[in-house]
Amino acid sequence: MKTIHIFILFVVVAVLQLFVPAKMILDREDVLKTGITYKFKTRPVDPNDPFRGKYITLNYEMNSAKTNDSIWKRGETIFVYLENDSLGYAKVHSVSKEKKDIDRDYVETKVRWNYGNSNTVNFELPFDRFYMEETKAKPAEDIYRKYNRRRDTLNQTYALVAIKNGKAVLKDVYINDKPIAYYLEIEDEN
Amino acid sequence: MKSKLLNDISELLENNIISQEVASNISAYYKSKEDNQPNRLFTVFGVLGATLVGLGIILILAHNWDNFSRSIKTCFAFLPLVIGQIISGFTILKKKSQAWKESSGTFLFFAIGASIALVSQIYNIPGDLGSFLFTWIVLALPLIYLLKSKAVSILVIVFASYYACELGYDFGYKDSTPWMYLVFILATLPFYLKLLKTSPLANSTSIFNWLYVLSLTIVLGTFINSNWPVGFLMYAMLFGVFYNIGKTPIYKDQQLRRNSFTVIGSLGSVVLLTILSFNIIWEDLVKRASIAINTQEMLIATVLLIVAFVVLLYSKKNEKNESFNLFQYVFLIVAIIFFIGVANAIAATVLTNILLLVMGLSAIKIGADTFRFSVLNYGLLIVTAVIVCRFFDIDIRFEVKGLLFVAVGFGFFLTNYIMLKKKKELNR
Repeated sequence: MKTIHIFILFVVVAVLQLFVPAKMILDREDVLKTGITYKFKTRPVDPNDPFRGKYITLNYEMNSAKTNDSIWKRGETIFVYLENDSLGYAKVHSVSKEKKDIDRDYVETKVRWNYGNSNTVNFELPFDRFYMEETKAKPAEDIYRKYNRRRDTLNQTYALVAIKNGKAVLKDVYINDKPIAYYLEIEDEN
Repeated sequence: MKSKLLNDISELLENNIISQEVASNISAYYKSKEDNQPNRLFTVFGVLGATLVGLGIILILAHNWDNFSRSIKTCFAFLPLVIGQIISGFTILKKKSQAWKESSGTFLFFAIGASIALVSQIYNIPGDLGSFLFTWIVLALPLIYLLKSKAVSILVIVFASYYACELGYDFGYKDSTPWMYLVFILATLPFYLKLLKTSPLANSTSIFNWLYVLSLTIVLGTFINSNWPVGFLMYAMLFGVFYNIGKTPIYKDQQLRRNSFTVIGSLGSVVLLTILSFNIIWEDLVKRASIAINTQEMLIATVLLIVAFVVLLYSKKNEKNESFNLFQYVFLIVAIIFFIGVANAIAATVLTNILLLVMGLSAIKIGADTFRFSVLNYGLLIVTAVIVCRFFDIDIRFEVKGLLFVAVGFGFFLTNYIMLKKKKELNR
């Protein structure tokens, strides 16, 4: 093959290599700009990923739903339709195996398990990673523990998530209406 | 190396062993050979440097710089990627040396990973390590052929194995089989086959020999879902494939340190059979006799059996008067024993032990016939392993066990001594 042909192929591959991250960015930007934001109550813990750095894993309170459909296979796609409760936090409106024709925001995710006849299906919300600067992930978790001691109901941790057409982008993690970074700054100053 | 050669030539000249003309011919030959060879050291250091810089960039980005805005971080995500692409493009267009190709390819490989890692980080994109590695490998794979880069090919094989282990050895709730691993490996094969054709004896080619064998051995286990007893059969067939590939004309006459197929095929079979020589394994297998024919594990074992058989026929076709080598047929015997074992554990245990013993004895015979101490002692080790293992599950008195050990040890001395003597006599 001639050099110029190889070069043209290389340019095609290079464009693909640029396109994939660019597409990832554009998709998320679109959701962030035009999506509707929901608050999901959560609890963070801090692990890390060898390539992408430190993050905190978010365990959402919303992880199951009542359903009349008892045959859910592990790993099956599930559409979780959302509504807001009286305090402004997201809650499950309904779940479905197929996309429903209703005017509600939804999250597309996977079934974790369901107990044969309990009419409850468990799932994991797909925005469970919040990346933080490596020195901050562990303190963030500690701060969370501090604010949620004795299981008080006054302090609320939640994730702010933009949702559009089933796609979700995690914006930030909040403790009592302040971003988690705000508490880290207070800690640093003390 | 070169100066030593020159010294030798001048010594030979002085003693009138060779003429002046021959001497100048020899030095001219080696000089031209040297000129034709690209600077290997430069390539190796280039690749090492590119790897370190690439990994360094990934780590720096993984720190997650909170202070920068999202748009600045996004620019940083593309920076290493674009730099890598410009260097690689330049290398192709200007037809730079192999060292350039390998280094720029390696750097671009890591830049791709860095860029998607940073984007995932900025937008908190979930998805496990597996899917991240998948995207990375897909985007990097064409570079093997566009840059004709061995380094990128090695990286792709290593990362594909990493991807497969991440996906398949995850005993969580995701029971997935890394089928795409096979596609990745198949995609790298044409490059490897070309290497085998052009430079079968190069050190870099033997790195690939080992890489493929180790990768497949490690990853095969990820294709076992729940029928783990069939996993034994799968591995026995894989080692059968390896051993017989090692006996094909391309590899047959290569040194053992290059011929990973023979080494791992033989060692793997012996280790596997030693495990299967315990009755306990077969009893458990009979209990789980629900070995359905149409399971994924059985399908893979069957495919591997067919491949091993085809390779066996191919290697036999190419050698007319070669003596019978039991190791080449071991996979077929294991397959038969396995199906006996599903019904009758004791019979299978006894047969496995006999097979191992016969394998040991045949290795001893091959070793003695060809005067190769390594093969002889390998055979002795197999026999010893069988005897030692049987001490665990057979109830015999201690003094008898002790006597047996002494006898086996004595056997080692004796056989080696006899062969050494024979060899000396022959040399005389």
